[in-house]
Amino acid sequence: MNEKLRRLLTPEGVRDLLPELAGQKRELEKMIQASFSRWGYGEVSTPAFEYSANFVDEMKAELTDKVYRFLDERGRTLVLRPDFTLPLARVVATHLSASPLPLRLCYGGDIYRYAHGQQGKQRVVTQAGVELIGSGCAGADAEVIALAVDVLQELGLVEFTFCLGHVGFLEGMLAAYEVAEAERDAIKFFFNSKDFVSLKTLVQSLALSESAKEAILRVPGLRGGKEVLREAAKLVPGGAADEPLRLLAEIWEVLADYGAAKFITLDLGLVRMLDYYTGMVFEGYTGGLGYALCGGGRYDQLLGHFASQRPAVGFAINVDHLLKVLQRVREMPALRELVFVGYGKAQRAAAFAEAARLRQEGERVLVDVQERALRAAQAEGERLGAAKFSYFSQDCSRQCGRLERGAANGE
Amino acid sequence: MVNKDWLTVALAKGRMLPPALELFEKVGIGCGQLRENSRKLVFTVEEHKLRFILAKPMDIPTYVEYGVADLGVVGKDVLMEQEKELYELLDLKIGPCRLAVAQKRGGGKFNGGYVATKYPRVADRYFQGQGKQTEVIKLHGSIELAPLLNLADAIVDLVSTGKTLIEHHLEEVEVIAWITSRLVANPGSYQVKGARVTDLLQRLEAVLTEGAAEPC
Repeated sequence: MNEKLRRLLTPEGVRDLLPELAGQKRELEKMIQASFSRWGYGEVSTPAFEYSANFVDEMKAELTDKVYRFLDERGRTLVLRPDFTLPLARVVATHLSASPLPLRLCYGGDIYRYAHGQQGKQRVVTQAGVELIGSGCAGADAEVIALAVDVLQELGLVEFTFCLGHVGFLEGMLAAYEVAEAERDAIKFFFNSKDFVSLKTLVQSLALSESAKEAILRVPGLRGGKEVLREAAKLVPGGAADEPLRLLAEIWEVLADYGAAKFITLDLGLVRMLDYYTGMVFEGYTGGLGYALCGGGRYDQLLGHFASQRPAVGFAINVDHLLKVLQRVREMPALRELVFVGYGKAQRAAAFAEAARLRQEGERVLVDVQERALRAAQAEGERLGAAKFSYFSQDCSRQCGRLERGAANGE
Repeated sequence: MVNKDWLTVALAKGRMLPPALELFEKVGIGCGQLRENSRKLVFTVEEHKLRFILAKPMDIPTYVEYGVADLGVVGKDVLMEQEKELYELLDLKIGPCRLAVAQKRGGGKFNGGYVATKYPRVADRYFQGQGKQTEVIKLHGSIELAPLLNLADAIVDLVSTGKTLIEHHLEEVEVIAWITSRLVANPGSYQVKGARVTDLLQRLEAVLTEGAAEPC
């Protein structure tokens, strides 16, 4: 590729947003943060890059080969944040260690990850999310799910589903059947990617009793309402998964009181691969979109890596995916029409005052960069895509009116 | 538009279509109209609230990924090549064959070199995993030609009976993977249309286990 062309391109996985879309995205982020704020969550902003030690030790395999790394002037390795949960855990362990618990924090911004193998995958993703730190009870689990539901509803999304599971269920089951460690990881991996064909092949090949195999292979089908929990309990001997199931039942009850239970589907095969999840996990989906809109869960060990252990639960919304869906299902706020303010000789100050007044009213105003005759000013306004004009002529009279918008598409 | 009640299934045109239709008919979904040789690409089965779309095999994962189709029936070879984030729900046992390495007869062990294939990513990954240095040449068809014309030392291609290989004086040296058609879903449809997907999945599964139990 020649150098001149390269200068005009962006690297793979990143893109420019032009006024209409960039405006909608900004608006969407504001609306999400406003919802978080109404639930009493306080926004935290963390730097885009940090020492790699803050991340890499905690992330394990799934993320480590996806982070952007570079060196600072002293040769220390820095990483662009691949996630917000770890930076927030660091903030809680340092600046906010004396705050009363539970602590409710939220964030919004870009994360950076190498996307591997997939076509059209973005490498910079805008997220917005919350963390509720310092409470281990079902009420906290349910609160963040209810908040996620509330955000989607506030944004006018009607058709969506949250699937809810608990990493302890599958773990309890595999432990009860004495599945070896390495095989447990492989099984969890196939559950995460919902590759039920490979799962079946693997489980059939293990040295387990037929009833154990059958039980594991029935987990993908454990989806639906509360009745699923009873069915699930029967599959695990010795009550090894009773605690996760009891907790899910409790979360369900709390969500019912929030009026959010109708959006929830229990999915006991739901595994989120990030190693730090320790309890309930959930993901939000909508029809016609091949990816999750949001996801999260409980991670009670993570803060211990930075300071004293504290229970925590949270989720993140993928703002880019959400924007894509919202554009399809509802009218997104369009940019306001432009008003073009022009002026003749000696009328500049009057025009500027008018522009200031219009801006105060919330109009989007373009002021001409030079004085012109009325006709020329109108033409200039049309050329720049303005819908209305306001003109101050030399004789102190003022003309206003609408402009031909079609002209904006001209030369 | 998104409709929670309807399910859209993408099927591959070509030789995999008749056995796929047979399977859907076994679970009671009449697919007669799809058998007629028309140019139509979208078929609706009103009484089951099902829509079938016909597409090129290589495009099926894309239709499903973007949510245009909720489910797809597609060969494991295509899934391996494209590595999309789709849920692989069921092995439909359609079109069993293998993705294999083949070379000119009597060539001994393949130790690297030029490889012609329709599956460059699978080939790359496979030979890298084996520590063999290869240069992969992407072709779109008639892969057997490449070794004959000395364009490549070996090929990676689908083999079912092995007849084509023999006709071109090639022999199969390694099997990379056993291939059948799979039922895939995108995560969104799998969750939002969960009940319908599970229902179809269970019915297909029942038919398949029944079929396996029958002596043939």
